[in-house]
Amino acid sequence: MSHAVPSRVVLDPRSAPPFPQAALSALRNPQLRKNVAHAIDVIQAKRAKVVGEKTDWQALRAAASAIRTNVLENLGAYLEEFEARCTAAGGTVHWAADAAEARRIILDLLCQEKASEVVKIKTMTSAEIQLNPALEAAGVSVFETDLAELILQLGEEEPSHIVVPALHVNRSQVREIFARRMGLKNLSDDPKELTNAARTYLRGKFLSIPTAISGSNFLIAETGSVAVVESEGNGRMCLTLPRTLITLAGIEKVLPRFQDLEVMLQVLARSATGERMNPYTSLWTGVTPGDGPQRFHVVLLDNGRSSILSRPKQRQTLKCIRCAACLNACPVYRQTGGHAYGSVYPGPIGAILTPQLMHMEHAQSLPYASSLCGACYEVCPVKINIPEVLLELRAQVVNQERQQAGRFFDPMYLGLRIASLLFARAWRFHAAHRLGRIGLRLFTRKDGWIHSLPGIGAKWTQTRDLRGLPGQSFHEWWATRGKEAK
Amino acid sequence: MSATVASRQRILDRILAASGDLPARNRIAGNPIMEEAPDPASPPGSYIRHGAMHREACLKLMTGRLQEYDAEVAESSPEQLPAAIAAQLAASGKHRFAAPDGLPAQWLAPGFDWKIDSGLAMDEIEQAEGVVTAAFCGVADSGTIVLHHSATEGRRLLTLLPDWHLCILRASQVVETLPEYFDRCQEPPARATFISGPSATADIEMTRIKGVHGPRFLHVILVRDES
Repeated sequence: MSHAVPSRVVLDPRSAPPFPQAALSALRNPQLRKNVAHAIDVIQAKRAKVVGEKTDWQALRAAASAIRTNVLENLGAYLEEFEARCTAAGGTVHWAADAAEARRIILDLLCQEKASEVVKIKTMTSAEIQLNPALEAAGVSVFETDLAELILQLGEEEPSHIVVPALHVNRSQVREIFARRMGLKNLSDDPKELTNAARTYLRGKFLSIPTAISGSNFLIAETGSVAVVESEGNGRMCLTLPRTLITLAGIEKVLPRFQDLEVMLQVLARSATGERMNPYTSLWTGVTPGDGPQRFHVVLLDNGRSSILSRPKQRQTLKCIRCAACLNACPVYRQTGGHAYGSVYPGPIGAILTPQLMHMEHAQSLPYASSLCGACYEVCPVKINIPEVLLELRAQVVNQERQQAGRFFDPMYLGLRIASLLFARAWRFHAAHRLGRIGLRLFTRKDGWIHSLPGIGAKWTQTRDLRGLPGQSFHEWWATRGKEAK
Repeated sequence: MSATVASRQRILDRILAASGDLPARNRIAGNPIMEEAPDPASPPGSYIRHGAMHREACLKLMTGRLQEYDAEVAESSPEQLPAAIAAQLAASGKHRFAAPDGLPAQWLAPGFDWKIDSGLAMDEIEQAEGVVTAAFCGVADSGTIVLHHSATEGRRLLTLLPDWHLCILRASQVVETLPEYFDRCQEPPARATFISGPSATADIEMTRIKGVHGPRFLHVILVRDES
C-alpha cells in the first residue's frame, strides 16, 4: 500500500480552482477523507465534553463576543494604545498595509540581524502573506517548529486546518516524510517515536538559531503585552531563547485589557482542541533585561482587514480568534478537508474570510461551500453569525456576476429576469402558468413525471425526475371549490 | 522606516473611515485612556467569576486535574517541605538541578548538584536534568499553574529547557476559577506563563503524546499552608 502524500496543493486564492472542482479530488481520495474524519471525530468528542461541563458556557460566549465587538468598535484607539505601551516596554511596532509590505518589513529586519536562519512558531498569518517562500527566496532558511508545521514543511505539503494543520496526514505518511527528510530509516509509525524524532531534530535549532518569527493570539492594548497559546513548548522555545523576536499579528488581534483573557482563555482551548486549557500560554511585554529576546518587533498587518471592517454586516468576521471550532463542526469541511478551499483559512470561517481578504476579487465560489446549516454559528465562541455573512457574500457575488457584460444572455440570469417580470403581476403569472402547462405536457409521460427536458432544463432531469404540472393550479382549484360548496 | 510610518497613518485612517457608522458612545475620542473605554470592564452575561467550592474540594480538583495531565502530585506540610522536596529529587534519579536565585536556601536539598540561576548561560541550564521553582497561582478548574517569573519562579527559559520540573505550589495560592486568578493580580504581569500539564502534542492522528519540547515531566508539591 502506498503512503505517498498527494501532490502539492497551492493555497493561493488567486490561482486556486473553484471550490466544487477542487472538492472533487478530495472526495475521490478515501485516505484523505478517512484521516480528516478521524481527527474531527476525536476533537469534536473532546470539545463536547469540556464545553458540556461549563455550566456558564453561553454566558462565556456572550462575554467573548461582547469583548471582540468592542474591539472592532474601537480598533484604532486600541492599536495606538498597544503601540504606545509596547514601545514604552522596549518593543518596536511596525505597520504593514498589505502582505507585500509585511514581507518587506520582516526581510529588512532579518537583513539588519544578518540572519540566515529563523525558527518559526506556527502562524497562519505568515501563511496568509506567503512569508516562507519570500524568506527562502531571499536566502533565509526557515525552520517550522510546530510538529504539524514541521510535517508539512518537510513533506512539502500545505496546511488543511487552522489549529491542526496536518490533520489530513496520518501516522504512516508522517513516518515516510520523517524517514526520508531526517534520514531515519528505522523509524516506526508510533506517534511517540515520531514526536521524539521531531524533538531531537529541532533541539539543536532552538539552541543555536538567534532569530525567531511568531504569530500572536492576543495583543493587550492596556499593557502592550503579546500572548501566544500553544501545546508543545516550541512556542516557548522561540519566544525565550533567541536574541531577536519578530511577531506578526493581524490588526484585529488586539484585546482591550489583560483581564479580558479571563474569558478568552476559557473559550479558546475548549473550542480549539477540546482541552480545558492548552499546555502552555506565554505572555510577554516588550523586552525584559536578562529574560528572553532583547530585540522585539511587532508587525501589525492590515492586508484587507480594514476593508472588512467597513462593511457593517461582514465586520463580525474580524471577531474570529482562529479556534477552528467551525471547521470541526462543518459537514462540508468534514467531507472535503481543507485544501479544497484553496486558502490557508479553510472551512466556514475561511469561506467568509478568504473572499473578503481578496476584496471579493477571488475565491467567489467559497461563500457557496456551505449548506447554511448553522452548525458553525452554534459552536463559535465569539458568536460570529457565519451563515448571515455567507448569504451577504453570496448576494455580492451574484451582483458582481450579473453586471458582467458577457453574462447578459447567461440562461440563469436571463431566466431570473424573465421570472422577475412574470412574478411582478398576477395576470402575467397566471398566463405563464397556463402556457407552461401546455408546453410541459409535451414532455410529461403517462406516469405524470417528466424524465427529460431539453436545454437548461436538462440540468435538473439529468439527475432526477420532475413531476409534471397538474391539470389545475391551486388558485383555479380554490376558486371552483368555493363555487361548488354553494 | 518612513514607509511604515505612512502605512501606520493609512491603516488608522482606513479604520476610522471604516467604523464611521458605529455608535459614538462606543468610540473613544482623543487620547485613548482605558478608563474612558465603554466599559469593557463588565462584559455582559453572567459567567462565573467566583467558584463556590469548599477549599478541600477545590484542592482536590486541582490535584485531580494535574493528574489527568500526567503530572505527579505530592502533598506536604510547610514544616515538612524541605524533606518532601528532597524525597522528590531523590526519587527522580537525577543529580544536576537548576534553581532560580530567589529560591529559599532550605529547599536546595543537600547531596545534589545545584546550579543557581543568576545569569547562567543557556547550555548550563540545558545541561540541568531538572529544575525546582515556586509558582504564583494555581487554577483548579483547568489544572493550570501560572508563573509570573519572580525571583522564586525563575526566568522563562529556566522552566523550559530542563526535562523535569518540580513546582512548589502553596494551597493558599490555589483558586477555583480562572477569573479568580485575575483578581489575584494586583496589576497585570509583564511576563506570565500558564502551564497546564507537561508539554504535549496531538498533531499526529490526534493521539496525545506527552513531552515535545518543554519539560516532559511535571511534578507538583502542594503545600498545605491553610488551616
